[in-house]
Amino acid sequence: MDPFKRIKEIVADPYAYARTWKKEKGGLVIGHFCSYTPVELIASVGALPFRIFPGKDALSLADAHLQAYCCNPVRGALEEALRGRLDFLEGAAFPHTCDSMMRLSDIWRLNAGFPFHADVILPVKTTGESAAEYSLAVLQRFKKDLERHFKRTLTTEKLGEVLRVYNRIRRGLERLYRLRSEDPFLFGGGGLLALTQAAGFMDPYDLAEEVEGLVERFEKEGPQGRSRVKRLILSGGMCLMPDLFQALEGLGARVVWDDFCTGARYVEGGVEEEGDPLQALSRRYLQRVVCPAKHAGLRSRGEYLMEKVKEHRADGVLLFQLKFCDPHAFDYPYIKGLLDEAGVPHVHLEIEDPHTFGGPLRTRCEAFLEML
Amino acid sequence: MTQPILLSDAEKERRKIKADDRMREIMAAYYMEAKLPPKERKKKIAWITSGGPVEPLHVMDVIPIYPENYGAMIGASKMGVPLCEKAEEMGYARDLCSYARADIAAAEVQGGPIGGLPEPDMLICCNNICGTVLKWYEVQARRFQVPLFILDTPITHTRFNDDMRRYVQRQVKEYIGFLEEVCGRPFDYDRMAEVGRLSIRGQELWQEILETTVHKPAPMTCFDAFFHLAMIVTLRGTQTAVDYYQMLLAELKERVARGIGMVPNEKYRLVWDNLPIWYRLRWLSNKFMERSACLVADTYTAGWTSWLPLTDRNNFLGFLGESYARIFLNSGTDLMAENIIRIVKKYDAQGVVFHSNRSCKPYSFGQYDIQRIIQQRLGIPTLMIEADMVDERSFSEGQIETRIDAFLETLK
Amino acid sequence: MITAGIDVGSISTKAVIIEGGRILSAVVIGSGYNARRAGQEALDLALKEAGLQADRIVGIVATGYGRNSVDFAHRTVTEITCHGLGAHFLDPAVRSVIDIGGQDSKAMALNEQGRVREFVMNDKCAAGTGRFLEVMARALEVDLEAFGRLSLKADRPAPISSVCTVFAESEVISLIAAGEKRENIIAGIHAAVAARVTAMARRIALAPPTMMTGGVAKNIGVVKALEERLGHPLHVSEMAQLTGAIGAALIMASSSS
Repeated sequence: MDPFKRIKEIVADPYAYARTWKKEKGGLVIGHFCSYTPVELIASVGALPFRIFPGKDALSLADAHLQAYCCNPVRGALEEALRGRLDFLEGAAFPHTCDSMMRLSDIWRLNAGFPFHADVILPVKTTGESAAEYSLAVLQRFKKDLERHFKRTLTTEKLGEVLRVYNRIRRGLERLYRLRSEDPFLFGGGGLLALTQAAGFMDPYDLAEEVEGLVERFEKEGPQGRSRVKRLILSGGMCLMPDLFQALEGLGARVVWDDFCTGARYVEGGVEEEGDPLQALSRRYLQRVVCPAKHAGLRSRGEYLMEKVKEHRADGVLLFQLKFCDPHAFDYPYIKGLLDEAGVPHVHLEIEDPHTFGGPLRTRCEAFLEML
Repeated sequence: MTQPILLSDAEKERRKIKADDRMREIMAAYYMEAKLPPKERKKKIAWITSGGPVEPLHVMDVIPIYPENYGAMIGASKMGVPLCEKAEEMGYARDLCSYARADIAAAEVQGGPIGGLPEPDMLICCNNICGTVLKWYEVQARRFQVPLFILDTPITHTRFNDDMRRYVQRQVKEYIGFLEEVCGRPFDYDRMAEVGRLSIRGQELWQEILETTVHKPAPMTCFDAFFHLAMIVTLRGTQTAVDYYQMLLAELKERVARGIGMVPNEKYRLVWDNLPIWYRLRWLSNKFMERSACLVADTYTAGWTSWLPLTDRNNFLGFLGESYARIFLNSGTDLMAENIIRIVKKYDAQGVVFHSNRSCKPYSFGQYDIQRIIQQRLGIPTLMIEADMVDERSFSEGQIETRIDAFLETLK
Repeated sequence: MITAGIDVGSISTKAVIIEGGRILSAVVIGSGYNARRAGQEALDLALKEAGLQADRIVGIVATGYGRNSVDFAHRTVTEITCHGLGAHFLDPAVRSVIDIGGQDSKAMALNEQGRVREFVMNDKCAAGTGRFLEVMARALEVDLEAFGRLSLKADRPAPISSVCTVFAESEVISLIAAGEKRENIIAGIHAAVAARVTAMARRIALAPPTMMTGGVAKNIGVVKALEERLGHPLHVSEMAQLTGAIGAALIMASSSS
């Protein structure tokens, strides 16, 4: 039986999961869009953090609010809200991400009609004293907003407990990533993809158990040093394409790491468990693997990718570029330059949305693998 | 429908703003000085974003250069397309801001109307206008290998709070420290007070200039404002800007006194929203003028007065951070709608022309909602034009002409 | 050893039979709606032309948009790889390829063996593809076949600036209404295609000699416009349209040996 079966079933209908959770736990659900959202704070007031992705249908309602030159994740998220598909939400939190997301916050606030709305305007800079001070202040403010809306006090103990659960999740996920890199045949990429997707909306306590169960199972099975395969690293923002992994695996390639927002960028590193939890949380969000919409120096994203290429002995890199995603698009020539310099084969994959793995994309992947 | 009004050359000459020539002289001198070889020039060059805090640069005798202003010049000279193509060859997606693409390409090939900008000694990036500038300046920092300072101004969706206030004020101090280090000398706070006063004076004059179009007929249109904007953007904080604007203001006041309107037979008064379509200003200006429509105000040029309520003449540096953080573009969509409503009422306008500018997401996303808010609150017609500020390939004359004509037909 | 390559494109299907590095036969037919049938028909015609029975073919490789429907092929390989090998066969000195087909355009950098080192594609937007030319031919009411010939008579290409096919069509119509010469408009259309394709192609390191392949290579006007943009000549083989099928046939030959 597929060890990821339960996870894949959950991921097949996230909205159903959230509704069931609400009924069973009697809690509220808070939506968000970004891996910089302090989900730990949301979970600490007893709410379920729920990462919102674009739907798969054609857009119509969103067109009345956002021009065609806006990316699919933003337009698609608005579409879901306007169609009433997200009525199980109490509202949403908007950490500062990119220009499009910033405007989504306003348009959502003006049109979506949810009782809870929080703008969590974290700093764009991730280094320096003033950014650190401000980041902590933003988290304190968000904590107060949550306490006010949920009418409960968020104690240090509770926050500490929740941080530890999320650390378990991240540690477990990272362990699975490493196991897969050691032995890419240990389990399929589709499974880990489903798991990282589930990490966006599953109850953290439940998820931690699930993740640790999988780690235990695969460590017992043990990586077997099977290495006759083309080792690939995926780079980009959001990728929710199970068919991609199937196609790559069918062509004799296996994914050994990624730097996706929904993947390793979210997973790597944890939160310190000693000291003031809010300060630790703030530090985590400043020090984690950087997203191109933030600034952590001029070279940190490129260096991270090259490090991963070396560490995981990648044979090639697939660079995903979401149409209309400006932060990633500005980084592309720089990243391409680094890969060219190091002689690492790579291919540019332009996608319109994070879900669709269609014929043209498949052809480009095939052509790339034929090159290796 | 009214027949289009065509102006004779003599008539056009009478309505021309005489100060224009002086403006060209000043801007030419400014770029010429900047393009002197470093040994001759002696001053350092900073590239700075259009919403960036320029005043401290004048205090340090650093020449501020505005790649965005150069982008406008590139657009106006119709040099945008080949530069954008070059940027695409370099790997930059066609959907990125055309100011950024044009600048990145121009730096590579020494392109644009003055053969490329002088190389920077430092880069100053303030993200109050957008997140694109952050990435753009990262690219240029890697390319030129010079220090980059980022002033991170959190957005006011609904409120500007004390945490933000403290953050930006601390960063202003960091900015001063950065300049001291890069320039190798201490910051002159007395000079800052003087530059601050000149900056405020320049902005006040700019505000008065824009307000001359409250009069009917308006002595100038927003197309003229787009041209004269460069002074307050690039030379804000200098005596030159103050002197020039005094001259321009005097001329405009005289036109008001003599009843000289820029548009003959001014019948319809409109407000423009978003950046100009730099390569088609004359065409647009004529299109509206022919139908007796005058674009009396716009949100873009007014942006360079939005610091005024938040500055303090006696403590310019103390309020620098906050005033730069709270520009209208760095605020929520509903606040931007209020801004337009205020402008429509102040200038007694009968319609709003929105430029849905592919290159500028913060300015363009939300326009559909703003359009609706204006229609509901004021009941006036609005027009949406889809184009791009510098990349002419995204401008479709046939389609846009039809929309403008149809809109003007609805104004009765 | 005799091998066959079948290239099923959106508009035309090509089949080539090769033995010992020599082309025995080559066929081009319309694809119609059924890729498998088109592939079979093309192969049958190629066999007939070569005077061979089907069982003489040791390996069949399918490529192109409809390759996965050709279930009787032994292997499927993308047209990117096939165009590289095909171009190398036609001219071993070639180090880069620009292919403009009916629905997409691509550029490839090749190594000395004709293997693709790097590639870039436009598979989303009609501008810069054969489709763009078709739309314009309709707007001008000129036979697309005549485009190349007519554009050579232009005295001044009429500039067409839009990136979008729909906008460009609108521009063409305005030019017609303004009385611009057909030849100049066509030259302008070719310049627009060249601009789009060059901007894409230059994203990778394209070293000359460069070969142009694909159906649009038959249009001398586009070839010249591209040469002007690139600043160096393009090699165009008489067999430009067959490049993919040639490459496909070669793959089986090299892997069987």
